[in-house]
Amino acid sequence: MDIRFEQAEARFEGRTILHPLTLCLFERRIGVIGLNGSGKTTFARMINGLVMPASGRVTVNGFDTAKEGDRVRAIAGFIFQNPQNQIILPILKEDIALGLQSRKLPKQEIAAKVETVLARFGIGHLAERRVHELSGGELQLAALASVLVSEPDILIMDEPTNQLDLKNRSLVERTVERLGETVIVISHDLDLIAGFDRVLLFHEGRLAADGAPAETIGRYREICSP
Amino acid sequence: MSTRDLVLAALFAAIIVALGLVPPIILGFIPVPITAQSLGVMLAGVVLGAKRGGFAVLLVLVLVAIGLPVLSGGRGGLATFASPTAGYLVGWFFAAVVAGYLSERFVDRSQSGIVQITGFFLAALLGGVVVDHGLGIIWLAFGTGTGLSTAFLGDLAFVPGDVLKAMIAALAGRAVMVGYPLLPQRV
Amino acid sequence: MKTLYVEGNTLLHRLSARVKLAALAMASMLLFVADSPVLLAPAAIAAAALYGTLGLGWRNSWQRLRAILLTIVIVSAFMLVINDPGAAATGFFRLTALAFFAATITATTSTGDFIATISSAARPLERTGLGRAADIGLAIGLVIRFVPDVLGRYQAIRDAHRARGLKPSALTLGVPLIILTLRNADEIAAAIDARGIRGQNWDKDQR
Repeated sequence: MDIRFEQAEARFEGRTILHPLTLCLFERRIGVIGLNGSGKTTFARMINGLVMPASGRVTVNGFDTAKEGDRVRAIAGFIFQNPQNQIILPILKEDIALGLQSRKLPKQEIAAKVETVLARFGIGHLAERRVHELSGGELQLAALASVLVSEPDILIMDEPTNQLDLKNRSLVERTVERLGETVIVISHDLDLIAGFDRVLLFHEGRLAADGAPAETIGRYREICSP
Repeated sequence: MSTRDLVLAALFAAIIVALGLVPPIILGFIPVPITAQSLGVMLAGVVLGAKRGGFAVLLVLVLVAIGLPVLSGGRGGLATFASPTAGYLVGWFFAAVVAGYLSERFVDRSQSGIVQITGFFLAALLGGVVVDHGLGIIWLAFGTGTGLSTAFLGDLAFVPGDVLKAMIAALAGRAVMVGYPLLPQRV
Repeated sequence: MKTLYVEGNTLLHRLSARVKLAALAMASMLLFVADSPVLLAPAAIAAAALYGTLGLGWRNSWQRLRAILLTIVIVSAFMLVINDPGAAATGFFRLTALAFFAATITATTSTGDFIATISSAARPLERTGLGRAADIGLAIGLVIRFVPDVLGRYQAIRDAHRARGLKPSALTLGVPLIILTLRNADEIAAAIDARGIRGQNWDKDQR
């Protein structure tokens, strides 16, 4: 697994959101922190080609996000801030299967994969349920399942514990800890990333700190204190 | 069609369906409850433009055809298209496309509020009243054999309500344009 | 959302949706060519009898067909007064027959079958570049998925009116409902693309 930013810059309507950035990521647990509007979500979206660099380039396992978007998105799954918007079809089981649809697998194989991934997150009993009836924690796990069913190597999560109560928060934290995939988490939940391998701090569209969690989080607190 | 256009159309279709499920809204100035669904159809064109608005309404009609009771009062199914008033229903699609096309053509963000509202009103009126009622009358006249004059007479009773809806659609369309502009511009 | 499909295993259930729809189109053409109550009255009775074989019961049937049958009766009564009895009878029997045939197909064809049939019928359209056949099923799923969300949002906006002592109106309910709903479009679209649901090359027509 290797993610490279080479002088990659993001602009939106003439404004620079992320200044040219050069960086290589290969750790298994990577946290991304920063104030609202610091450029951290843009950074994460650039990894799987949802935001294209205005200049420079981003590659994932050697695939350029601007040229081979489909390959990159097959490697890097993305979980959005609001799981409500991530689940697309009315019945959970149907929705999870949707991610496999474009691969043209036989029906039984799809069903088996769906069952496995639901069981992996302990939500097999919710398969037939209507999505809008699920609780916040269940939805977050369902969103995880909907992405992991297509077996990406990298999982990018945008504030996965944002809207959860304490119980569901620790459930998601434990689930993230156990994931075998490479995980990149954007979070304001400093406890979640405290044990990670590497933490990036963004500030005003630039990488302000990069290293072990303790030092990066310390730098973040300095920025936040008046 | 981009994924975003597809999603916008589907979300608007969901709004139109939901408007059939909520209790009828009483207008502030007239004590008559209105069914909000046909208002939603005009709004689809005015807010999303011809292509996406038309697709949104088409989706609602497809849902009706495949047996979902998504029209106000829980109506739905293929039989709905056999009704004497089916022309108005099919006309929804053309109403949204016409209202959308005219809005794209004649309303833009740089105009003053009153010009925008007038433009949206005329677009909604032409689509939602002229086109939709025209198709409704033709279907009623020839589908059931009432003849044009009888059909026209029967239709008149529903014109004032729909003119009113065109007014609301214009005001709402302008408010949405200010708050969250989506209408494509056509020069 | 509850559909109007009724589970069952009658001959009509087993026929493919394509055959049933073709038969309905054929029947409607015949009904419009036949221009006399003498032909159309038996057709209406036959259609009602066919519908009757589904065994839905009087109450359920009445609920399903109330709106359309009442409209037919009103229009026919109107014609009786303004046009002539012959025309009124022709219109009445023709539309009643059509309504029963159509309702029969609706009750015996599942939404899944319909979607599959529409998608395969739309496949030739792909070449015109208007869209993808698979998008139809996806779009229908999206609508059904988001109706409860829209209703919840509507309720929340109504409650907000009540809490602030405002009178709900079409405008103050409709505008926030539209904006709050459509604002989710970007993220939902991004989620669809990020999950690769529309398959290859979606980014080619992003512009």
